[in-house]
Amino acid sequence: MVKFRLYVNKDRETAWLNEMVRRGYAMEGFFAGFYQFGVCSSGEYVYQIDFTEGFFRIPSDYREFMGEAGVEIMGLWGPWVFLRKRAAEGPFELYTDVESTIEHYTRIRNLFKVATAVEIACLVMEFLAVLNGSSWARVFACVIGAMVVALIREVVRLNEFLAELKSRLGEESRIGRQRRPSRFLAAGMIANAVAFMIENPAWRFQKYCLVLAAVFLIGVGVVRTWIKRE
Amino acid sequence: MDKNVPLTEALFYILLSLRKPNHGYGIIQEVERLTGGRVVLGPGTLYGAIQTMLAKGWIRIFSEETDSRRKKEYVITETGGRVFAEERRRLEELLANAALMEEETGRYISG
Repeated sequence: MVKFRLYVNKDRETAWLNEMVRRGYAMEGFFAGFYQFGVCSSGEYVYQIDFTEGFFRIPSDYREFMGEAGVEIMGLWGPWVFLRKRAAEGPFELYTDVESTIEHYTRIRNLFKVATAVEIACLVMEFLAVLNGSSWARVFACVIGAMVVALIREVVRLNEFLAELKSRLGEESRIGRQRRPSRFLAAGMIANAVAFMIENPAWRFQKYCLVLAAVFLIGVGVVRTWIKRE
Repeated sequence: MDKNVPLTEALFYILLSLRKPNHGYGIIQEVERLTGGRVVLGPGTLYGAIQTMLAKGWIRIFSEETDSRRKKEYVITETGGRVFAEERRRLEELLANAALMEEETGRYISG
């Protein structure tokens, strides 16, 4: 069985993989959002996702280390490594103290910051292409815009989570609830991207409905971004 | 100059487990045994700590058996020993000062 998902939040992704195990499906491979599943008995494995220094490359001592600890490497994507351990062999947590958990999530946050900057640069380039009259660039601009929203949301979430972890160590952290772009903005941009792709005049009605939905979603998104979260 | 002490609990126990050569999973087991099961190191925490301490020169690779089942072993270095001794002095000071609490037991503190 193959399933397609796009996750920004690795904890949600882990929770989903473990939920799949509960339903009797064990993840066996990953490629560009496609998860390959095999059959397993319910609750046979515990999955974890690690973030490593390597990029599509696992250091040999890491592989050795995990092997010794009874951990299997099931997939690799950029710096992400998908790991699993038999549930019968005891609990499986990668990071067991606050200090190393902070280190782990800081590295993830920093990568997302860089990715956000790169995406914003791409967005600017797409805007320039739109001005030059490229119609596909409008689609790409919307999709990239939605990705930027998703990335910024994750950076803000990680900042808040890190602040909470640091306060557990007794460190004063100033960050409270931060303003972050609403997910409605991303949804609106995706709707807009789909509308831009419709060129057949016979579909004009559907196209305008989508544009209307996009305008509505972006409007809601702007308001929800404006209002401070509780 | 970055401050080495206080050590985190994980670093403290990993250094202690490496007073003699030990390998990854051996460290996890040793720490679990020393703390009566209170501290069970996750492989991510241990791997990160070992990379950090290798970079700082607190530990070094002891052996790499060339057999089919090779296991990388680590052992504490002189620098690591100094850091541990520094931490131990800090902990002894804490414990010695903690005794002051007993003087007041019964006056303000019950039990």
